[in-house]
Amino acid sequence: MPKKNVLALLSAVLTVVLAGVAIWSHGEPLPVLGATVAALAAVTWGVKPSPRRNTLWMLTIAVGSAVLFFYYDNFWGLFSAGLAFVWLVFGLLPTMDPGWRLRLGFVVAVFVGGAILLWPTLDGVLPTAESAAEGSGPTRALRAIGQHLHCPPYIKDRVAFAIAPGLDLSGGLRLVYTVEVEEAIRDKRDNFADEMRLQLATLLGVRSGEGRLTHDDLPKLEARVHVSQPESAIIRLKFKDKADRAKLDDRFTKSFLAELSETQGPADDEVTFKIRGDIESQIRERAVAQAKDTVSRRVDELGLREASVTTRDEDIIVEVPGSDQQSFRDIKDTIRRTARLEFKMVDDAGSEKVFGPPAVKDEDLPEGEGLALYEETAPDGLDGSSHRKSARARFARISCQPPKYSNESLAECLTRFRAWTKTISIPDDHVVGFEPVTEPVENSEPLQFKQVGWRTLYLYSRAELTGDYITDATTTTDQQNFGQYQVLLSFSPAGADRFEEVTGANVNRRFAIILDATVDSAPVIRQKIGGGKATITMGAGDQEKQLHDARKLELVLRSGALPAPISPSSESVIGPSLGRDAISESLKGGLLGATAVLLFMLAYYRKSGLVADVAVLFNLMLQLAVLATFGATMTLPGLAGLALTIGMSVDANVLINERIREELRGGKSVRAAVDAGYSRAWPSIIDGHATVAISGIILMQYGSGPVKGFAVTLFIGILCSLFTGFFCTRAAFDWWVRGDKVKRLSVGAEF
Amino acid sequence: MEFFKPGRTFDFMGQRGFWIPLSFILVAISVVLCFYPGPNYGTDFRGGTEVEMAFGAPIDPSKVRSAVESAGFQTPDVVQVVDANKPYHFLIRVQDVSAISEDEKAALRVALCYVEDPRSPLTDPVKCPENARATEVKFSAGGDKVSTRYDSEANLDVIKDQVRSVPGVSLRASATNPQVLNPRDHRVEIQLLGKGDQLVERLRDKLGAEAVPPDAALRVEWVGPKAGKQLRDSARNAVAIAIVCIMLYLVFRFDLRFAPGVIVACVHDAMVVIGVFIILHKEITLSTIAAVLTVVGYSMNDTVVVYDRIRENLGRYRGKSFAQIINLSVSETLSRTILTSGATMLSFLAFFIYGTSVIKDFMLALLVGIVAGTYSSIYVAAPLTEWIDKRMATRSDAKKKVLEHSGPRVTAPG
Repeated sequence: MPKKNVLALLSAVLTVVLAGVAIWSHGEPLPVLGATVAALAAVTWGVKPSPRRNTLWMLTIAVGSAVLFFYYDNFWGLFSAGLAFVWLVFGLLPTMDPGWRLRLGFVVAVFVGGAILLWPTLDGVLPTAESAAEGSGPTRALRAIGQHLHCPPYIKDRVAFAIAPGLDLSGGLRLVYTVEVEEAIRDKRDNFADEMRLQLATLLGVRSGEGRLTHDDLPKLEARVHVSQPESAIIRLKFKDKADRAKLDDRFTKSFLAELSETQGPADDEVTFKIRGDIESQIRERAVAQAKDTVSRRVDELGLREASVTTRDEDIIVEVPGSDQQSFRDIKDTIRRTARLEFKMVDDAGSEKVFGPPAVKDEDLPEGEGLALYEETAPDGLDGSSHRKSARARFARISCQPPKYSNESLAECLTRFRAWTKTISIPDDHVVGFEPVTEPVENSEPLQFKQVGWRTLYLYSRAELTGDYITDATTTTDQQNFGQYQVLLSFSPAGADRFEEVTGANVNRRFAIILDATVDSAPVIRQKIGGGKATITMGAGDQEKQLHDARKLELVLRSGALPAPISPSSESVIGPSLGRDAISESLKGGLLGATAVLLFMLAYYRKSGLVADVAVLFNLMLQLAVLATFGATMTLPGLAGLALTIGMSVDANVLINERIREELRGGKSVRAAVDAGYSRAWPSIIDGHATVAISGIILMQYGSGPVKGFAVTLFIGILCSLFTGFFCTRAAFDWWVRGDKVKRLSVGAEF
Repeated sequence: MEFFKPGRTFDFMGQRGFWIPLSFILVAISVVLCFYPGPNYGTDFRGGTEVEMAFGAPIDPSKVRSAVESAGFQTPDVVQVVDANKPYHFLIRVQDVSAISEDEKAALRVALCYVEDPRSPLTDPVKCPENARATEVKFSAGGDKVSTRYDSEANLDVIKDQVRSVPGVSLRASATNPQVLNPRDHRVEIQLLGKGDQLVERLRDKLGAEAVPPDAALRVEWVGPKAGKQLRDSARNAVAIAIVCIMLYLVFRFDLRFAPGVIVACVHDAMVVIGVFIILHKEITLSTIAAVLTVVGYSMNDTVVVYDRIRENLGRYRGKSFAQIINLSVSETLSRTILTSGATMLSFLAFFIYGTSVIKDFMLALLVGIVAGTYSSIYVAAPLTEWIDKRMATRSDAKKKVLEHSGPRVTAPG
């Protein structure tokens, strides 16, 4: 024996002994693993240079990195290194050629990996200590074994996904939302009012130029006629001058009469328009239908393929499978988000009248609420010779969590602020917007900001542009601004034109981007903006939260705004729609059927049938493991996809075995028959799988709801079936016929 | 073990004179059935009546289901609601909706003094007092609710009498019926007895008054479909695109002759499954759609395997006619075809036997589809390919003749 080998062996033994001491004294696995690496390295060093030694080196590296990954608690690193280890161990087997060993190693590694990925899913099915005591005979014995197979917490905590049974198999959460259709009616009424203002301005000759009314036209119109919206379906015109009242001609009324009814009064100089009953019902119905579409799009985009969305009168019912509270919270947030995006102009010059004395004075502010009034210099458009003007603007600000309300959230703070602004009188054509106030966090590196309160922005109530004009939304990072996340919006051509027009007419003014009732930002328009793009910043907060928020916003903006807000009206946990008894009976049937097929294959093909059976079972496991990593939902349609691919994987094995039989019948040697069988069966298998995979991909891309769920299962199954049916069984057959030692192949028929 | 003695060739193409017309007839029947009587769409597509019930005594979901079924409602959805206050709280969805006939609707409109209806007795101060003249009458999709609107505060007692005067409809007994829904625009909701009440009645007969107390029905309402237009449109587009892509793939891997056969065979199988469902009065649900898609996938795979053998044999036996090659290829793959479809059917059969309601229907669709898929590969796809081949051959013959006149004839080797 060469000296080096002895040394290597000695050092290996030494390390193992040291490891033993380490375990005995501390009970920690890390020193053990470290010692194993050292021992392996020592043995490797002792082995003669050969391909095997190279594999051994790689093995040592795999184990070493596994130890490191374990130390730093990087589960997926550990997972990969562990699989590499398994793969390489098989590369060391003293049998067959290296190529075959690597193939076998790969198959085993995939098996182990799949088993680990699937373990948390199976955990829910395995019997507990109590249920193991029930039953009798073989079931009891099986249960007794089963209760020891539970997934260790180490894996369970780190493998965060599992297959969730769908609504039909295990129930879930039922959320009922009521669509606030009044809001949709009010919206429609505002549209009519805008249209009326435009027509009145033309009629009374106070309009300058074409297109929309400018902010200078509006006060002129207001001086002649007051357009108010006292109730949700009512518009009232109050004329200052009776002569103007007479100017309301047929042309004006006719253009509205299809949808509005006109009545005189209540006063002499007033005319009241009311949205007709049937039109109102139509608006209601459309609002509910649109809200349902939007909600189902959002649910789809969240990847909840198997959630169901239905309507019931003015309610929307969403049923979400599973029982994970965290994901329920996410779903609820996303579904409820109105995602109404509006762009409004800021009236800085006008703010002094509303937020300055004498309307509001510092002395008037309530004590201890954190309120204060401020003054700022704001841009105020261009003067006659295109020079930038500025104006004094005033605004109110609230600092959240004053001593009196030390535990309030930002939203509660905003509610307080809003309540206070209600006490200020705001003209009809203006609204108050609320923008977050942020402050840099002290000593943060890189500089971070934190929201500390809210401020007002004095806005024109008319929205210059709305989210309806958005065609797409994507999350990007803002390079100029510490890599903050933002959502980039793309406008439709009409929206882009409108955006260009609005920005062109309002250079050197502020422009508020309003998302769901709060102002996201109010940048100053420096020049006319063409190209139809705008961005929404994600505000203060750490990067991870920003990204999370940006993703959510992107999703809701892309799925479109809800036509009206929806409010949750009830929430309940529901059972499976198929019925537990029906499911367990069917499972029995399924097990029986599967067993029958496996036995049949075994009887028909003998040992080759056994290979096929193992391949089919492996396929099933692998497919479930991949589905688990997708966090897929298993429903009846999903099971259909599963059944189809299992059928196809049986088919692949049948095709191969039949071919091998044919070749054997043709007088080929066993080894040649296996080779020929595989190469001849390949085209049929690949063509069959490819056509089904194509339909799977397309259904996945264009289908929605359960069709999509079916397609995903189908596609994954096809890939797994190719792997197990062709790659894995080949390894088995190759081992079997190695070196042409066998003269007979057990395929169930004699040749 | 062997099912077939290898080496035998069956004359499949010889029988096509019988099978092809049969397939045509089957598909034609299915198409006709699709229009008359038309598919029986389930709640997934049509919506239905949802009854929220709180039973008074412990009851099993399966018992509720069988009670609902024996009350004459097909494939109900019975879902238990986890509710601490009402331990036996269920949601029952059936596809039946209470339909009010057009005549009854018209009579109701008149009785409710709908102002736009000329037949309304608006001048009669007893029947139509000032405060009971509806400016709008709307019937809910489920047919068990009428919502009306008035110009002033409505007189609910008069409205009650108005509804009672119409034969064929009856008010649901409740203290809050009719009910003012919205005082602002004087919207009133009138609830009529409908399918939901019928269901509750029958359940009371079946399960006893103790289990179904008078206030068992918490809510009876029409629910909209789960699969709206969105799903239908996207599914249709997806299928159309998939067909095009699969044909392209087949043209690329085989040739032009083969592509239509696969598609026609798939359509054939899907139609047969749908036809069987219509004949058996089975509900078409989202699960059925999944089953049909599965059948299409199976059929595609099956046809492609047969095609593959035809392609292989076309290259091997140049002298044989296309029909002979098909016979040979189908015979050679027959063992595999029987094995695969047999094994697949075996597993589905067990499911079918043990499954209940929805699962049973689902498996039925799959079983029918697999028989059809296996059959169509042999008797639909292959003959169609042969027919197309013949067509293309005669056309290229004609072309060859033109070439003969214009120059030296080129013949392919082999």
